[in-house]
Amino acid sequence: MAVYKRGYERYDGPLTSHTTRLLAMPRFAWARLMDQKLVVILLALSMLWPLLCGGFIYLANHLSLLQGFGGNDLGKMVEINGKFFLIFMNTQAVFSVLLAALTGPGLIAPDLANNALPLYFSRPLTRLDYVGARMAVLVGLLSMITWIPGLFLFIMQSSMAGGTWFAANWSLGVAIVGGFLLWIALLSMVALTCSAWVKWRIVAGALVLGFFFILAGVSQMVNSILRVEFGTLINPTRAMYIIWSAMLGVEVPSGPTPWECVSVLAALVVVLAMILERKLRPVEVIS
Amino acid sequence: MTKFRMRQAWTIARIEMHRAFLSKRAFWVYLLAILPAVIFIGHGIEMKLRESRYQGRGVTPAEVVDSFTKGEKVEDVLKRAPKPVEDHSWSYRRSHEDEEEEGETNKKRRISERVEGRSLTYFDGQRRVQVGFENGVLIRKHSDTMKNFEEDRTVFAGVFQYFYLRLAIFFGCLGIFMNLFRGEMLDKTLHYWFLAPARREVLLLGKYLAGLVAATVIFTGGALLGFGAMLWPYSGAEMQAFWSGPGPSHMFWYAAAAALGCVGYGSVFLAAGLLLRNPIIPAAVLLVWESINGFLPDLLQKLSILHYLQSMCPVAAPIESDTPALLRLILSPAAPTSRGLAVLGLLAVTMLVLWAASSAVKRIEINYGTE
Repeated sequence: MAVYKRGYERYDGPLTSHTTRLLAMPRFAWARLMDQKLVVILLALSMLWPLLCGGFIYLANHLSLLQGFGGNDLGKMVEINGKFFLIFMNTQAVFSVLLAALTGPGLIAPDLANNALPLYFSRPLTRLDYVGARMAVLVGLLSMITWIPGLFLFIMQSSMAGGTWFAANWSLGVAIVGGFLLWIALLSMVALTCSAWVKWRIVAGALVLGFFFILAGVSQMVNSILRVEFGTLINPTRAMYIIWSAMLGVEVPSGPTPWECVSVLAALVVVLAMILERKLRPVEVIS
Repeated sequence: MTKFRMRQAWTIARIEMHRAFLSKRAFWVYLLAILPAVIFIGHGIEMKLRESRYQGRGVTPAEVVDSFTKGEKVEDVLKRAPKPVEDHSWSYRRSHEDEEEEGETNKKRRISERVEGRSLTYFDGQRRVQVGFENGVLIRKHSDTMKNFEEDRTVFAGVFQYFYLRLAIFFGCLGIFMNLFRGEMLDKTLHYWFLAPARREVLLLGKYLAGLVAATVIFTGGALLGFGAMLWPYSGAEMQAFWSGPGPSHMFWYAAAAALGCVGYGSVFLAAGLLLRNPIIPAAVLLVWESINGFLPDLLQKLSILHYLQSMCPVAAPIESDTPALLRLILSPAAPTSRGLAVLGLLAVTMLVLWAASSAVKRIEINYGTE
């Protein structure tokens, strides 16, 4: 629709800094998310596994407590190594998918459904800023259940096991933080793209769940019917598991190499970014 | 319910069916349903092409192929079987540590050597036998059947139970049945139905019937198509024996399991769409519950739709290949329930859920603003 009457003037007063403007959206979004009981419940549930792992680390470093239960044999079983952190990361990844499916769709879909994008983009915000701000909401939320407790467990183990353990295993700490950040980036892109792809929040939530669960199923189906292993590449969760295994120095499962997985996931992120770019338009020209 | 109300329900179902079958949103459901069939067809084409290629290159008698033993020279193998269907050669450097005595101490030395590798593949009409050589000496032999009917049937059982029932029908029904009420809420069109001179239970029944017919046709059709695609590359006595034996019964029970999956999951998602503002939460809970089902105690395993659907399947599914060894240890699937009981149980649960949904639909008040 053409606008003929322009009874307004562009605001030429002082602007807040770019970072402040960027953080305005996550600030409100976090507050809104924390008002949702289900999000809080899921966050609390997601902390159970890190707590159990914390207890496990404590026991592993106080084997004298386990003397009555065959302490020496148990000592070999409760070793804190890359495998332990891989299991921790894998479990938290499931919670993070559920959390992203619950919170991610509410970030962009309502703006699209209510034609609110022009309101955002009439302010000094670019599309990249908008996506970055929306992503910051998810990154902040998912960090709380992924790399932050992971790093906490690593520090706990380092402080209990001593400097020798830290010197030999510092790379595990880097792998936990790096691995989880990669996962969060992928998960946030999937959640935001699903949210932008379908305008309904509920459908977008189902799409996020479906994306991870159905692709996992399809990958297994391809592998078992065609008797191949390359099907693993279309399962983002498994591909990330292979990358994590390599980062943590754990035996990499058979199938695609970590670099192949990295390439496929990078290509996936590019495709998702292209979809986001196409969907997030401040104006829609109707011919 | 009177005949008049039944006719009303069927009229509603007919109107809704059009939407369920042909809406743009339904196309991904078709994709989910035919995906196994597409992959099985791809597998069949690949098998047939490979077989004709191998037959064109020459068949080696089975007794000759069986006579290959480790330690043989490649020349001897080629003298007896001069027509391999595939022949690949390569070379690489291999390094290993060697200890040598130097005075009283042993010194380790890294030795690098060039290895000539070669792989010959033979086809005896049924089996593909791969023999590997290093520096001209046979070091490994591996054979597999090109067309393994039993293996393909087991693969189909796994695909049907792990992908089709657990994911395709689950997400397909989620899309179809939640769209019936929650979709209308989001489209802001539900009030038109409520203004029509029909009781709400009749509306619920009509919509459920529409979803059920659509889901059953799509997914039962997809299951049968997949089953057909799996059987397609096979022919001859093997197929005759299958069709005169367990074949028809297997086909029937796969179709029945798919249809009853639609009945069960459909009722749950229809009710979830009515009872909760965000039906994704029960869907996620159900998905996780069904996924961890095999690890739960027997009694809890029976509190899932999947257990009863799997009980109806004619072939037991193999354990998923990427299940970690530790999880394999604690995996203990409950003994299957008898088919009659499974069907009755699923129908009873469906009736119960639909009854809860009908009492919810009577109380429902439209507030589009909150969506």
